[in-house]
Amino acid sequence: MKLLNTVLARLAVALLPILALWSVIFYFAMVEEINDETDDSLEGYAELIIRRTLAGRELPAVGDGSNNSYTLEFLGHNTAVVPSMQYSDSLVYIHEKKETEPARVLTAHFADAEGAMYRLLVTMPTFEREDLLSSVFWHILALFLAVVLTIFLATIFVFHRSMRPLYGLLGWLEQYTPGKGVSNFPASPSVVEFRKLIDSARATITRAESHFEQQKQFIGNASHELQTPLAVLGNRIEWMLDNTALSDEQAVELNKMQQALRRLVRLNRTLLLLAKIDNGQFPDVTDVNIAALIRDEAEIYAEIYATRGIECVVDLPQSLVLRMNEELAAILVTNLLKNAFLHSPNGGKISIYVTGGTLFFTNSGSEPLDSTRLFHRFYKQGKTGSTGLGLALVGSIARSYNMNISYSFEAGNHIFAVCR
Amino acid sequence: MKLLIIEDDASLSEIMCRALRSEGYVVECAATFFDANDKIAGYSYDCILLDIMLPDGNGLKLLEHIKALDKGDRVIIISARDSIDDKVAGLDLGADDYLAKPFYMAELSARIKSVLRRGSAAVSKQMSAGNIELSIDSRRVAVDGSDVPLLKKEFDILLYFMQRPGHIVDKAVLAESVWGDHIDAADNFQFVYAQIKNLRKRLADAGATYNVKAVYGFGYKFCEVEL
Repeated sequence: MKLLNTVLARLAVALLPILALWSVIFYFAMVEEINDETDDSLEGYAELIIRRTLAGRELPAVGDGSNNSYTLEFLGHNTAVVPSMQYSDSLVYIHEKKETEPARVLTAHFADAEGAMYRLLVTMPTFEREDLLSSVFWHILALFLAVVLTIFLATIFVFHRSMRPLYGLLGWLEQYTPGKGVSNFPASPSVVEFRKLIDSARATITRAESHFEQQKQFIGNASHELQTPLAVLGNRIEWMLDNTALSDEQAVELNKMQQALRRLVRLNRTLLLLAKIDNGQFPDVTDVNIAALIRDEAEIYAEIYATRGIECVVDLPQSLVLRMNEELAAILVTNLLKNAFLHSPNGGKISIYVTGGTLFFTNSGSEPLDSTRLFHRFYKQGKTGSTGLGLALVGSIARSYNMNISYSFEAGNHIFAVCR
Repeated sequence: MKLLIIEDDASLSEIMCRALRSEGYVVECAATFFDANDKIAGYSYDCILLDIMLPDGNGLKLLEHIKALDKGDRVIIISARDSIDDKVAGLDLGADDYLAKPFYMAELSARIKSVLRRGSAAVSKQMSAGNIELSIDSRRVAVDGSDVPLLKKEFDILLYFMQRPGHIVDKAVLAESVWGDHIDAADNFQFVYAQIKNLRKRLADAGATYNVKAVYGFGYKFCEVEL
C-alpha cells in the first residue's frame, strides 16, 4: 500500500468516531434548543388562556390552524393541588391532519380569585424525533463525506509538497546500480528529518561505492600481482628442462609442475576476464556475424576432436548479426562450442541452429546437469582438468548484454539456448 | 646483440637474464624507473624488454622517453595486463611487440628474434635451420632448395619450432600456441601427435638435417638430426 493511501485510510478511520460523537452531541443540543423554544411558546399561550379565564373573557378557539390545542378542566375548591407548571412530551391526535403526532404538553395548575383550581393542558405539535434523527444522520453523513474529501484533497496536496525529498530519494535509489557512483544524488532539503535521511543515505551509498570499487580493484590487482610470480615459476622450470641434465623421472616431475602451473595461469586469466566482463570493461561494440564465427570455430574444434568421431552440424543462415564486443562474442561462442565438444560422448552429435530468434547449441549426453548451478563459477561435472569457468564466462557475457541463456535436457540432449 | 631488461621483480629479472645470456645475448638489467631512465639515456640497446608496471613510475612513460630519444632501440612490452586495449595502447606508443605475463622463455626468445629480424630488413621473414629454409610471408618451406609442401597446421608447427630451436616444447604448450584458446587442459593431444608425425615424415623424406624429436615423453625439441 502506498504511503499516501495509508495516511488517507487512517485519516478516514480516525475521523469516523470523532464525527459520530460530534453528531450525537449536535443532535441532543438541537433537541434541547427546539424544546426550549417550544416551551417558551407554550408558556405564552398558556398565560393567554389563564389570563382570559381569570378575566372571564372569551377563550381562543381550538383548531385555528395553529395545531395548538388545549383543554381546561375545573378541579373545584379545596383540592390538594398547588399551582404549578410542568412540561412533558406526548403524542396527540390532530383532527385537522387526522394523525397522531408528537407534541409538547404544558400542564398548568392555577387558581382563580375565589380559590377554585383549574388544570390547563396546552398541547403543541412539535417535530418528529425520528425525522430529525434521520435528517441529522443524512446531513452529518454528507458533511462527513465533504469533510473527508476536503481533508483528503488538502492532504494529497500537502503530502506531495512535503514528501518531495522522500520521493526524490526513492526515485534515485530505484535507478541506482552499484558501481555507477553517486552522481545526481538528491540535494539536502530544509526539513530536518529528510535532511538526515538523505544525508545518511548518501553516506551509506558512498561507503558501499568505495567498498565496491576496492573489491573490484582487489580482484584485478590480486590477479595481476600473481602474474609475475607465475612467470618466475614457469621460467625457472623451463630453464631446468632446457639447460640442465635431467633424468627422465625428474623431467616428468617438472612437466607435471608445469601442467599444474598452466592450469593456475589459465584460472587466473579467466578470473581476470570474468572480473573485467562484470566491470563492463569491454565497451566497444560492433556488428558481429555470429554465424560466420560459429562456422570457423566449429571447424577448428572438429579438427581438434577429430579422433572422437563427434558429428557437428551447423545449420545457420549465411549471416546472423549480433551487436556486441567482438572479443566477448568469440569467448561466448568458443566456450559454448568447447563445452559441447568436451562433454559429448565419443561418436556423439552436436547441432547448432536458430529458431525464432533463439540460438540453440545441443549435444548428446546421458544425464541432465544441475541447471541452477551450471553458470556458477567452479561448477564442474565429472571432467577433471577443466577450470569450471567456461560456462560462468558464458553466463557473465550473456548477463552483460541482457541476453537470456538457459539450459534444458531433452531426449538425451543437453540444450543451451541463447536469446536476446 | 645487447638487451636491456626493465623489470622490478628481481627473481624474474635474474632468470630472464640468465636464459637470454645462455642464448648468446649481452644482457643488462634495470629494476626501477630511474635506473632504467639512466641506462636508456646513456647507452644504446638492440632490444629493450620493458615491464610497464614499475613500482616508481609508469613504464609507458619510459616507452615515450625511449621513442623520443630515437636511437632505434626495439621495445617489447612485458605486462601483467593481458587485454587488447593495453596491447593497442602499447603498440600505439611505438612498442614493437607486447608479451603478457606469465610467458614462456622460449616464447620471449622467439619474439626477441622476430623483433630483431624486423630491424634488418634484408633478411626479414626468412628463417633457416640446417638445410631447411622457411619463408613466413609466402608460407613456403624448402629443404636443400627444393620445396616441401606442408599443410597449414604443419607449417604453423614447423614455424613454432624454428623460432625455438633447442628448447623443449611441451605438447600442451605447442597445442595452445598453434590452436589458440580452443585447447583445454582436459583435452588429450591426439591431434598434435598426428600433425607432428606427418611433419616429421615430410621433413625426413625431404632429407632435412633438422627435425622434431620427442623428449621425456611429454615434449618435443627441434634439433639437428643425429646421423
